[in-house]
Amino acid sequence: MLSLKNISKQFHHKIIVDNVSFSVRPGEIIVLLGKSGVGKSTILRMLTGLESYDTGSILYNEQPLQSNLVGMVFQDFNLFPHLTVLENITLPLQKIAKKSISDSKKIGIDLLTTYELAAQANIYPQSLSGGQKQRVAFARTLAMQPTIICCDEPTSALDPVLTSKVAQEINKLANQGLIVIIATHDTELIKQMPCTIYLMKHGKIIETATSQALADNPDMFPDIKNFTQGGTSDTTYI
Amino acid sequence: MIDFNLLIEYYPLLLQGVQLSLQIAFLGCGIGACVGTLLGIVLSGNNYLAKLFAQIYVSIIRGTPMLIQITATYLLLKISGVPISALWSATISIGLNSGAYLSQTILTGITSVNKGQLEAAKTLGFSKAQTIRYIIFPQAIRTVLPNLESEIVTLIKDSSLASTIGVYELSNQGKIIISQTFDAPTIYFAIALIYLIMTTTITILMSLLNKKINYHAKS
Repeated sequence: MLSLKNISKQFHHKIIVDNVSFSVRPGEIIVLLGKSGVGKSTILRMLTGLESYDTGSILYNEQPLQSNLVGMVFQDFNLFPHLTVLENITLPLQKIAKKSISDSKKIGIDLLTTYELAAQANIYPQSLSGGQKQRVAFARTLAMQPTIICCDEPTSALDPVLTSKVAQEINKLANQGLIVIIATHDTELIKQMPCTIYLMKHGKIIETATSQALADNPDMFPDIKNFTQGGTSDTTYI
Repeated sequence: MIDFNLLIEYYPLLLQGVQLSLQIAFLGCGIGACVGTLLGIVLSGNNYLAKLFAQIYVSIIRGTPMLIQITATYLLLKISGVPISALWSATISIGLNSGAYLSQTILTGITSVNKGQLEAAKTLGFSKAQTIRYIIFPQAIRTVLPNLESEIVTLIKDSSLASTIGVYELSNQGKIIISQTFDAPTIYFAIALIYLIMTTTITILMSLLNKKINYHAKS
């Protein structure tokens, strides 16, 4: 189980993340919901080791979390432009996971086939559409077999059809036993998969709901309901 | 008038000069690329002291004439008792000078790589050295290559400064031939033509290499 306990972070005397705690079991999907700048992405960056935290602890099975357990799919995908789609997946496998060239190629091709990108294996990322880039980013991250996968705004560049596909893929990952943590402001995404929603404001979690409970009784979660209905102004939730 | 018979008679000496000029330029550029890469990495890093040292080094080299640097290096090495030839002293000096200039180009190349890619590399488990080797360097080289071309061309021409400490590179060989034949126009014409051929060849070869490397980026 992954546990964040009383995590806080300040930057230039501004509180970015304020005493955030939550726990996630394998196979669960967590959605950090909120407007830009509320600290969602910072939490993901802390999990991946890209940011430090001032106080609190992040534990996995009661041990300090090792960043090699965590994979990250970035909002801007961050694919390597000098490598082909296949090489984007095989390079980390060869250099980090120490797989042989043939093994890493096989893993790469299998993943690209799963993500319907086998035909694009030998082209460069700049030739791909936003949706394709994102699937490559997923494939590259999953190739390293993370235990926890963090997705930063995974649907920000996608249309509703592709958003639905991403939701299906995230569901599949959770069904495989991965812990999935998503930072998003996309309220459509949370309607399409079973998850636990944490609404954030000013670096704090202000309301929590499961997607099922929210669907059954939205009035019990006024802040999340308000947010999902787009009834909040930016100034309220930033 | 150009005396072609004179050129035929003295071309072995000119060729010896060409060989030394190219040796100084290419080895100097090699040393410069190593020094420049090291300085570029230091300048793009977070170590304040190392950065300060690199900046001071670059300022001194860029702020003083190469002629002085070549002479000073040779004299310092001689005074220190280092058994080194004038050729190698000049090559090292020119390499150190080139490194200071190339560091700025390499720094630009390094900083041109999107920060997000570095973060992606870190989350995938790449070490700093692996990130430089596999992510930054292949992309930075595309920015660096056009400048490397002009650097080699400059070094071929600047190799003539090695004559001040007695290296018999192309221009110095020319002076010797002139002192024997008193035909300055013919020899200077030949030397200028040889420099032009060398620099034009380098420009063409580097352009082809540049196109080949950038082809993949546009594919």
